[in-house]
Amino acid sequence: VLLQPNAPEDDVSTFLVTIGIGLSTAAILALSAVAFSLEYAISRIANFAHGEFLTIGAYAAYSGQSIFHQNVVAAAAIAAAAGAIAGLALNFLVIEQFRGRTAITVFIATLGVSLIAQNVLNIIYGAANVSYTFAQGNLHHVGPFLWTTSDIEVIISVLAVASLFYLLLQWTRFGKAIRAVSQDRALAQVSGIPARRIVMRTWALAGAVAGFAGFALADTVGTFGPTLGFNFLLLTITAAVAGGIGRPYATLGGALIVGLVLQIAGTYTSSAYELVFAFLFLVVLMLFRPNGVFVRRSAVAVRA
Amino acid sequence: MYWVSVFTEAGIFAILALGLDVIWGWGGDFDLAFYGYLALGSYLVFVLTIGKPTPPVEYIIGWHLPVLLAIVIAVVAVVCFAAVIGAIALRNLREIYFAVTTLGAVSAFYLIVENYTPLFDGYNGVYGLINPGQSALRLTYNGYRIFFLVVVLVILFLCYLLVQRLSRSPFGRMLRSVREDERAAAAYGRQVFFAKYRAYLFGAALAGLTGSLFAIFISAFNPSAWTPQELLVIYAAILVGGRGNPRGVILGTFVVYVGLIELTRYLPSPASRPEFGPAMRQILIGLMIILILRFRPQGLLRERPGVDRVPGSTGRLRWRPPRALAIAAPDNGQTAGPAAPALAGSEGTMTGDARPASAGRDAPSQGQEAEDGGAG
Repeated sequence: VLLQPNAPEDDVSTFLVTIGIGLSTAAILALSAVAFSLEYAISRIANFAHGEFLTIGAYAAYSGQSIFHQNVVAAAAIAAAAGAIAGLALNFLVIEQFRGRTAITVFIATLGVSLIAQNVLNIIYGAANVSYTFAQGNLHHVGPFLWTTSDIEVIISVLAVASLFYLLLQWTRFGKAIRAVSQDRALAQVSGIPARRIVMRTWALAGAVAGFAGFALADTVGTFGPTLGFNFLLLTITAAVAGGIGRPYATLGGALIVGLVLQIAGTYTSSAYELVFAFLFLVVLMLFRPNGVFVRRSAVAVRA
Repeated sequence: MYWVSVFTEAGIFAILALGLDVIWGWGGDFDLAFYGYLALGSYLVFVLTIGKPTPPVEYIIGWHLPVLLAIVIAVVAVVCFAAVIGAIALRNLREIYFAVTTLGAVSAFYLIVENYTPLFDGYNGVYGLINPGQSALRLTYNGYRIFFLVVVLVILFLCYLLVQRLSRSPFGRMLRSVREDERAAAAYGRQVFFAKYRAYLFGAALAGLTGSLFAIFISAFNPSAWTPQELLVIYAAILVGGRGNPRGVILGTFVVYVGLIELTRYLPSPASRPEFGPAMRQILIGLMIILILRFRPQGLLRERPGVDRVPGSTGRLRWRPPRALAIAAPDNGQTAGPAAPALAGSEGTMTGDARPASAGRDAPSQGQEAEDGGAG
């Protein structure tokens, strides 16, 4: 995102550096998309206010950075906590109120939430961009890649979060309950799983992951404003769709693909157009593989 | 003059809301590409009428066409653009998938407009169409503004008549039947894709027209003049007035535009925080969308589906089942299932006069409630 390598005499190395930057973008995208996918899986709705979880996380870390004296770990924790609270609030105040309504109705309601959240942040923090005061760190050569310290921190933490996430979902009672509720909420309820509580906690979890992703994104981009998450939302959805919406593990692969498409297209045309390619990729995906690139099935009518 | 401006704006957006309501209210497709159609219409009217650009300003075409001809060309171009996006998004995708695809397509379009300056001069946008025809009409500036308000209201009224007629036509009712149950409609022989596609193109044409009028109204257009957030205001207006009811949609637009602008005008807006007023307005819009969806999804005026009756009779439905199903479902319109009156709108199953009788207007809606829109 930050570098535009332009060394025609060394195409291979340019390409690898591009891949490296793509990987760091993909890592943040993966976090955001996994959270989005989790929300979709548990409540069967697409959350258009998901981007605002990221923004809230980013701003919470911004508010917290002075209190905790530039401690990156503390800032990340604050971001995750704020995201979790936002997730809980959204589920309690909006999503649960709309139970039994069509998916598109809830989608439109979350659009309204997104509008409200953006403008509340706008009133509190102002429309102008702000930035963290953490040191970005130096450039490091890791194998063929060229990463800043914060890039490396982001990639490592994403790998850690993804592993924890896998363990949680696959090996704990809570994870089992999440899977059960996302399969069939009513059936899980009659089987003795407190579905309402599980849904609540899942939203808190998704919010926390998204809040952390927001902090990582804001830290990598440098400056951010109230539309940070909203602008990132369509990319998140692209990654989630590429992986197959509602399937958290496959979403990681989807994020990888989208991150690389974004970076390669940006490097070889112009960074102004990288998002154009990502969105065209989304449209093409929807046209041919609306169920994700990992599903071996032709495009069938997709009904939410 | 202030009120003239407010009502002109509300009138322009009422036309847009009518078009959007055909796609979303009748067809059930939540389209997020609509703001792109308005933008394209606006841009094209500018570049077709304001002449060659003077450097460093740059944009395509740069002709000196008469405004009316430019509007026609702009509307046709917008429909062509919508034909491409609609063909991609409507074929297999519904609901959220449809919404996301349209948003992706129009975001790509907007990014190109913003970054590729030879098209419409990027972020700066185009400007210069000031009161076209003012000297020919021998009007003062204010006189022209009042004249333009009248023009907008007349166009709005014509659009309303057209949409109202379409609403009760076989096409309008076919579209609603497709919204209520796509499979049932398809089983009755309706071309689901083409029904939705035609509605989509009709809506886009109204968006192109709105864009043209908007161009004349504000005399300048750039990418930040019209964003997805503005589109949400239109959706809020449709929700307030009553989704699927043309009269309600117009009412809703005036309520939202005039009411909201008036309400937020008196908010304190400290000089240090110029964004406070607009931000409060957006928050109100968001709240309004959520609360209406939750507590009164039918809006102020509920949708009134057309029901066929023989003029002067005591409510016997004119619907006949298709020949193939005649044995299974004997001709007994009054006890027909909920989908039956909605299906009556198609050409193939009508008997006798194709024009719906006005007696049907006050008929109780026959089970077709459309509480939530969109087949589940």
